[in-house]
Amino acid sequence: MSSTLKIEGLRVEVAGKEVLKGLNLTMHSGEVHAIMGPNGSGKSTLAHALTGHPGYRVLDGSVTIDDAELLTMSPTARARAGLMLVLQQPFEIPGVRSFDLLIAAGAEPATLRARMLEEARRIELAPELLDRFVNVDLSGGERKRAELVQLGVLRPKFALLDEIDSGLDVDALDVVAQRLMAATTEWNCGVLAITHFRRLLLELTPTMIHVMSDGRIVAIGGPELAVTLERDGYDIFRSTPA
Amino acid sequence: MNAFAESASTFIDDRPDAAARRRAWSIFESTGLPTTSDEVWRYAPLGDLGLERFEVPSAPASAPDSAFATQLCQRAGLVIRVVDGFCVSTGDLLEGVSVEIDESNDSLTGESLLHRYESDTFAMLNAALAPSATVIRVAAGVNVAEPIVVLNESTAGASFPRTQIVVGRGASVTVVEYFEGGGDALVVPVSEYRVDDNASLRLITYQRLDASAWHIARTTGFITRDARLHQAIIGLGAHYDRSRNDAELVGAGASNELRTTFLGSGDQVHDFRTRQFHVAPRTTSTLLSKGAVADRSRSVYTGLIEIEKGAKRTDARQTNHNLLLSPAAHADSVPNLEIRENDVMCAHASTVGPLDELQCWYLESRGVSREDAQRLLIQGFFYEMLSALPSELAELVESDVASVLANVAVVTS
Repeated sequence: MSSTLKIEGLRVEVAGKEVLKGLNLTMHSGEVHAIMGPNGSGKSTLAHALTGHPGYRVLDGSVTIDDAELLTMSPTARARAGLMLVLQQPFEIPGVRSFDLLIAAGAEPATLRARMLEEARRIELAPELLDRFVNVDLSGGERKRAELVQLGVLRPKFALLDEIDSGLDVDALDVVAQRLMAATTEWNCGVLAITHFRRLLLELTPTMIHVMSDGRIVAIGGPELAVTLERDGYDIFRSTPA
Repeated sequence: MNAFAESASTFIDDRPDAAARRRAWSIFESTGLPTTSDEVWRYAPLGDLGLERFEVPSAPASAPDSAFATQLCQRAGLVIRVVDGFCVSTGDLLEGVSVEIDESNDSLTGESLLHRYESDTFAMLNAALAPSATVIRVAAGVNVAEPIVVLNESTAGASFPRTQIVVGRGASVTVVEYFEGGGDALVVPVSEYRVDDNASLRLITYQRLDASAWHIARTTGFITRDARLHQAIIGLGAHYDRSRNDAELVGAGASNELRTTFLGSGDQVHDFRTRQFHVAPRTTSTLLSKGAVADRSRSVYTGLIEIEKGAKRTDARQTNHNLLLSPAAHADSVPNLEIRENDVMCAHASTVGPLDELQCWYLESRGVSREDAQRLLIQGFFYEMLSALPSELAELVESDVASVLANVAVVTS
């Protein structure tokens, strides 16, 4: 079944300052979209606002998956509606094991262990790390892989990746990109990747690239846009104040 | 009519060693119960105790084991049963381990208990009214593979269990002191542990008394050269739960790890006091105290690290984290340092606060409900403490703790 994620006119405030100023984006299941933009353009704000982070206040706009409005939902309900965020800096949860987290998130207990092991194998995460408390005593790269184990088990309709490439070396990046690419066909997962760098998009081939500047999407294009960005930088896309 | 004094008098008269007991009783009578103006007891609702209502039993009542106690015993190599302070079974023989009933009033240090704990009114009551000490000795060099369980059941009235554990040179053992029962009862345990040179004692004290019980406990560890005492204390039960835990690091290279954990609900009070007394050089103590208070419950953690002159290169650390699960709950943290030596490492840290909002959001963003996220975080808060338990016990204790946590309400302000 194909789903649609639609963001319309999204305005978000952080600590009293408007960071997203009317953002629009539409994507479908099985597609890979990338959001690229300079530091401070609002990329991470978008990721946090979509998933209901308590520090972000939505001023206006709409975010829907198949016409169900997410912005009025609790973070839990948004996740259950099919949106999952892979964090740039995943939280440590001392004393909580991934297994128990995933059970509480709705995973099937009988098959969970096997599925975690399978996902760990595919993402090249040492299986013994699955037994650690969530993200505790894991390196930056291991945390990203552990997040992808959760993703593979929970199979959201749309995966939102906030700078998945930070803290990953080139080999790890390829493994992660390949796993995500596979997800787009395995369960028709839509992938929305927020990134600074083109490197991720060599393996994770985007259907569309959105260039973000000052809280808005200022350009849309195909994969070739990433090449332009790498060569010329973001300056040509910066929105000029009216 | 003072049921306590009368039954105590009868109890003492019936014992063979009545003289020492009478001396302890007279110390109690002359000092009386402490009051909240006494710094050491300032958080104790002793005005509500009503000591005179508790009868001292002349013999143990019969007490059925809980399902948890049964499971715990199945995992033990040796089970010692104590009912209302009376040792009713010293269990089967276990190689290298002896269990004796000792009616003397001796401390493991060789002094009299009366002398050692003279300033502690409740310890004096234990000296007067404990039927006996249950003394567990592990012979030198013996590694006891399976845990020893001391199962303390309390029925009603006042009971005074006394446990003494001696781990001989180079020996190692795990002991669980478990407390249950105690509806409308007063339970006053005194425990002592002596860990001889290069020996290791892993100790778990699990207190699951009825929510109406008064529990006033004192433990003291004596740790000699290169010996290790790893102690986990978990207090879930009792109306007033007082747990004073001392360690004396008297041999060079001795180490003490102490993890204390409590959960308060209703109008419970958890009152934990610790004292790490470093006498010898190169001794280490690591103390981690974590507790959560819900409803109108309150807790106080008072920790003292004391380092004697000459205890060079001592390393002592104390950490206390308190979780507030309701705006009406309250936690106090009072760390103290007394250092009479310069060449030492010493650190303490404490926090008091509600569940972490962002950790909660992280779990919710995976599709975990808010309620489950809170439950997982509270469980996690405790599981971190339980992770030190030996693997054969960890799962059992975790699920028992989880069953208690399941009934705790989280109220955010």
